[in-house]
Amino acid sequence: MQNAKDSFYLALRTRLATINPERTVLLRGAVRPGILVEEAEAPFAQPFSDVFVLRWLGHGVDANLSSAMSVTECEILYTTCGSQAFGGLDRGRMLSAMDQEVLAMLDPFYAPKLDYSVQPPADLHTNVFWDEPTFSPINVQRDRLSRSVRVMVYSYQQQGEE
Amino acid sequence: MTLTSFSAPAPVARRTRAYFAPVNRITQAPVLFDPSQSSLFHLDAPPTPWIDLGWIQNFMRRSTGKSSPILTGVPAAALEQTRTLLEAQLSFEFLAWTKLTMALATGSQHMNLLASAADGAAAAPAAIVQSGSTASVIQLSAADAARFAPGSMIAVDADYAGQTGYLGSPISGACLRQPIADVDYIRRITFNVALVLGVSTTSLILAQPLPGGAPPPGSKLQAITGFVDREGGSFYHEWSALFVIQGSQGDRIFLHYPRLQSLTGAEESAMPLDAKHTGGLSRILLKGQFLALPVTDPIDGERVLCYRSFTPAAYAEI
Repeated sequence: MQNAKDSFYLALRTRLATINPERTVLLRGAVRPGILVEEAEAPFAQPFSDVFVLRWLGHGVDANLSSAMSVTECEILYTTCGSQAFGGLDRGRMLSAMDQEVLAMLDPFYAPKLDYSVQPPADLHTNVFWDEPTFSPINVQRDRLSRSVRVMVYSYQQQGEE
Repeated sequence: MTLTSFSAPAPVARRTRAYFAPVNRITQAPVLFDPSQSSLFHLDAPPTPWIDLGWIQNFMRRSTGKSSPILTGVPAAALEQTRTLLEAQLSFEFLAWTKLTMALATGSQHMNLLASAADGAAAAPAAIVQSGSTASVIQLSAADAARFAPGSMIAVDADYAGQTGYLGSPISGACLRQPIADVDYIRRITFNVALVLGVSTTSLILAQPLPGGAPPPGSKLQAITGFVDREGGSFYHEWSALFVIQGSQGDRIFLHYPRLQSLTGAEESAMPLDAKHTGGLSRILLKGQFLALPVTDPIDGERVLCYRSFTPAAYAEI
């Protein structure tokens, strides 16, 4: 399943770099597209603003198929306080912009599955695919607006995959 | 170098996409889809003459044909089977209302509402299409172009001149048994309609190309305000249809019906936008039900209603 998780994340990261090149994050001294995987970073006390954070949740396997199908639920969390230039009064607009970016990142609803544990990444010749996203209500904490989106991510287990 | 294959389970798909092409009613020639070329079929830019009608929902198809056993012996036992009725039906809902989807989802003639010059008056006179026009840009005289504005809808076709039989090309929109006195009749039933996005002093720029391509010499143009169909009448549209189900692994299922005719009259279904609030807003969907008609397969002379073809995913074991 790790290959599917890596492939999903990197597909979204590549798409975000095209959709909104200005959405970036400075992490461990490097400027990267503004999307990260929570379990692959050091714990952070406070959620990043204006960055997409992927959190992997439940997992299941349908083994009654000619190739077992894995499914993992991904939660994409994002938060904004608006911009300093507008004193945070544009936080609703900025959250709407992030809503649109999530939809754009998820379309098309599939991506090639690659093994990123080797260099260069090896094409596994199948696709990771996912279902329609489910948006949560907005969570308001003082001047901070947050939302999460849940997506079921599917892939087929292939020979030699863990 | 050896690559890994995988044993692909049944295709996983989200939705079905519909493409239609007009059957030439005069020569009774359907449009045939060659499944060996299916990998070249671009879903967003289908090859001519296929017209993309977008995603559809609640797609159901069923064979209503019948087979009967040939019995032999005492007590009787089936020796073999014979096909006694060749019939198939399908139904689905269009997710958009357009000229084409509305026409497909009605069992009868479909017409354009020609704009009138004034309330209660006859249709406004047609403008002559000038030479140099293309399927996307219509050249007009300056006086005629000034009658249109961005957002106008237009119908482009020839004057009616007393013809009978199937009318409209390449899409037959009506069949007249006897001549009528309406010079605008072909523009009433034509599928050559478009939205005007831009107007210059001598041309109209269209939002999408005319289905019939560049207007031939002698074509005229009239503004339209919408569409109308009727319950009743004797005309049945006939189309070639192709339904594509794109799997998650790049695999594709093609369902090709060379000849389809509407089976029922116009019908709509309401789909609530919020499933928990069924009394609230609903999306009104055009419901299409079709009867498949047979063609003769040129390879072996068999009569068939539908072809189902499948393109496996790359590296899927077959």
